[in-house]
Amino acid sequence: MASNAPHPSFADYATEAVPQASVGSPGKDGILRLRFAPTDGRTALVEDYARAPFHLSGTLAHDPHDDVATVFVQSATGGIAQGDRHDVTIDVDPGAFAHVSTQSSTKVQSMQHNYGAAELRLSVGQGGYLEYLPEPTILHADARFHQDLSVELAPESIAVLGDIIVPGRLARGERFEFERYRTRVRVRNRDRLLFEDTTHLAPEEGDPTAPGLFGDASVYGTLFVVAPERETDALSTSLHDAVSGCTARAAATELPIEAGVVVRALGDRAETVDAALHAAWDRARSTLLGASAPVGRKC
Amino acid sequence: MTQSSTLEAFRLADSFLPIGTYSISYGLEQFVNEDRITEADDLQPLLETYLRHQLGPADLVALRAAHEAACDADLDRICAVDRRLTAVTLAAELRTSAQQSGERLLSLQRDLRDEPLLDRFDDQIASGSADGNHAVVLGVTTALAGIEQRTACLLCCHGFVTGLLGAAQRLLSVGHTDAQQILADLQETIADVVADSADRSTDDMTPFAPSIDIASADHERADRRLFAS
Repeated sequence: MASNAPHPSFADYATEAVPQASVGSPGKDGILRLRFAPTDGRTALVEDYARAPFHLSGTLAHDPHDDVATVFVQSATGGIAQGDRHDVTIDVDPGAFAHVSTQSSTKVQSMQHNYGAAELRLSVGQGGYLEYLPEPTILHADARFHQDLSVELAPESIAVLGDIIVPGRLARGERFEFERYRTRVRVRNRDRLLFEDTTHLAPEEGDPTAPGLFGDASVYGTLFVVAPERETDALSTSLHDAVSGCTARAAATELPIEAGVVVRALGDRAETVDAALHAAWDRARSTLLGASAPVGRKC
Repeated sequence: MTQSSTLEAFRLADSFLPIGTYSISYGLEQFVNEDRITEADDLQPLLETYLRHQLGPADLVALRAAHEAACDADLDRICAVDRRLTAVTLAAELRTSAQQSGERLLSLQRDLRDEPLLDRFDDQIASGSADGNHAVVLGVTTALAGIEQRTACLLCCHGFVTGLLGAAQRLLSVGHTDAQQILADLQETIADVVADSADRSTDDMTPFAPSIDIASADHERADRRLFAS
């Protein structure tokens, strides 16, 4: 249905029927619901629901901060295929501390019909803390992907959001061959929009490597540290210092209405961009939580 | 457009207009400091990115919405689009520059004209309900002067490009003829982005220029600075 398209640029794709498993059939409509709440002095995952391809295997407690509950979301498929729709809700109750990531990169597969899309709604209750830091999104040749991430913050709460885009399987020379990628991050505080950030790339319509856009770089990462009640000017300077020596070109600036800090990074490889964002994340955690970022590999 | 509206458009497009444009480079100074822009030939592609990915999908959309709201004397809509433009402009220096030149333009216009809408808009900025971004103030100003919306968008692009070319002349060895050549060569791009902005709703304000954002953030901490942004 064209009228269901998330953005006019996706309207034509939406009219295309998917020839294999159709939109909405098992494995195509992934649903994930997570709710974290404080219980007995530490955070627990009190609600979880995962419909394929999402899979959960409980929480981990390896975080250097004692109260943080960690969930690594797993996927049973090879990535996002045409016609896939993912729906993710993560709620952090007042006073809870949660870290959510994915187990591995999200591969957006080549598409000939329709598109893939994900809608994520995150909320953080008063005094709560949420990190949503998925592994990079890899856009294969001819991929079409739309993502909408909206976040609702209660007073005194903090959200750390990360995103890394890899524009192809770089090791095999695939670069900016996807068809369209559009993602929007919107963060609200009570009833006010704090900021909104949209990335819209369609390499055939405009060269993403133009000066001022990606330039010579391939991989693009963003880290939002949203902490409206904190001293964000000082945090911006501190995060900028943390990333200034990194291999990737990265810099920090204060978000509108002193809502927090955004760090942007451009690099040749996902590893260098990830390292820059990790350095900023680690610094932000030390300032906001008094604990460093967890280290170690996921697999 | 009447003769007086046309003259008003010329006045607002003139680099002689005292709104502090001479102190703004929107990150261009950092590109020069890092030797990523070294000569006139490097300028045009970067200016195209500014127009296509920053001014067109954000400022022009806001300008059009503010122009329309001013024609209806709808102050709430003017303030709403002003706040929205702030919310989608993530580089701090770009916001500051847009708000400083906007406030100077508003203050100038209030000195020149007796327009209650400008006074009421200024009150909203003073109370924190609006930010006075340049594109929004220009939208209101041009609407009140009877300058049609499309002309106001062209004016905005022309002012932006001449401002950055002026900055480039002070940062690099760019001759007057080079600058005029670039300005002439950018006409097609300007026409494109003005046309594109007409199809966008205020929900679809989507500036995206990561290298410019990074340059602007680096510029905040640069040792050697001629420009405020």
